[in-house]
Amino acid sequence: MFFHLCQWLFDSALGTSIRESTYVFPLIETLHVLAITVLVGTVAILDLRLWGAVLKGEKVTTVARQLLPLTWAGFALVLSSGVLLFIAEAAKLYSNPAFRLKLLFLVLVGLNPLVFHFTIYRSVDQWDEAVVTPARARLAGAVSLSLWAGIIVAGRAIAYFH
Amino acid sequence: MQSSTWGFAVVEMVHLLGLALLGGSVLVIDLSLLGFGLRGVKKSQVVRGLTPVFRLSLVVMLVTGVLLLSEEALKCYYSPAFRLKILALALAVPLSWALHRQALRNGGTDDATSKVKLAAAVSLALWLCVGVAGRAIGFI
Repeated sequence: MFFHLCQWLFDSALGTSIRESTYVFPLIETLHVLAITVLVGTVAILDLRLWGAVLKGEKVTTVARQLLPLTWAGFALVLSSGVLLFIAEAAKLYSNPAFRLKLLFLVLVGLNPLVFHFTIYRSVDQWDEAVVTPARARLAGAVSLSLWAGIIVAGRAIAYFH
Repeated sequence: MQSSTWGFAVVEMVHLLGLALLGGSVLVIDLSLLGFGLRGVKKSQVVRGLTPVFRLSLVVMLVTGVLLLSEEALKCYYSPAFRLKILALALAVPLSWALHRQALRNGGTDDATSKVKLAAAVSLALWLCVGVAGRAIGFI
């Protein structure tokens, strides 16, 4: 069923025109890569703060609140450009192992901040100024860094499985 | 590396991971110097806090970049996108270095002069150019 959906998207006017244009596909792909640096770069700064590796003197909440708008802006661009790229290549991506792995990582990386916010982050007042945060916060940071790295690696690998 | 598909791929992936960190640190530092982001935190603190990320990721990008270049040297030599990237990079690195040094030296005062703001905006534009031209090497 999913394959038929992918084939339908692939054959759609939008998908076909993106795929067959000389400039649109590379432009969207470039935007996708740059937006990833905004999204993952800002997420990584927060994750590294949880480990006390950067911005040691600043409160965790200060870093989190100030970076979040950039993170969301990056996320919106990554998602919209990613959806367009997917539509253009849907029928090929359906069976691409790297793409499937990337999707799995994306689901997990989405769950991680949810768990983080509803558990250890609730007590952030107690460790806001700590250089090295509690083990569970550091775990969330490590999971986030690993998953995002996996997403970038799997994303790049898509092109090698065509 | 020319004879192995995955050798090149792995180096390229590390290059991209470095890009995420470099792009993130450049963006947050330069926006902060421009007066956006990390309010309530001194600019010199932002620079001091993030230059280690900037430096480490720049080293990763240069090392992997040279490795990638070693496989595609001739293609790159003739690529206008690659030439533009190197030109922008040659301007962006010293500019960022000077900006960071200046911000660290001004530890006490926090008002960015219009000169610093202009330099931060130019730095952002140059790094954007490095990224776009870099991606374009694969297309042109």
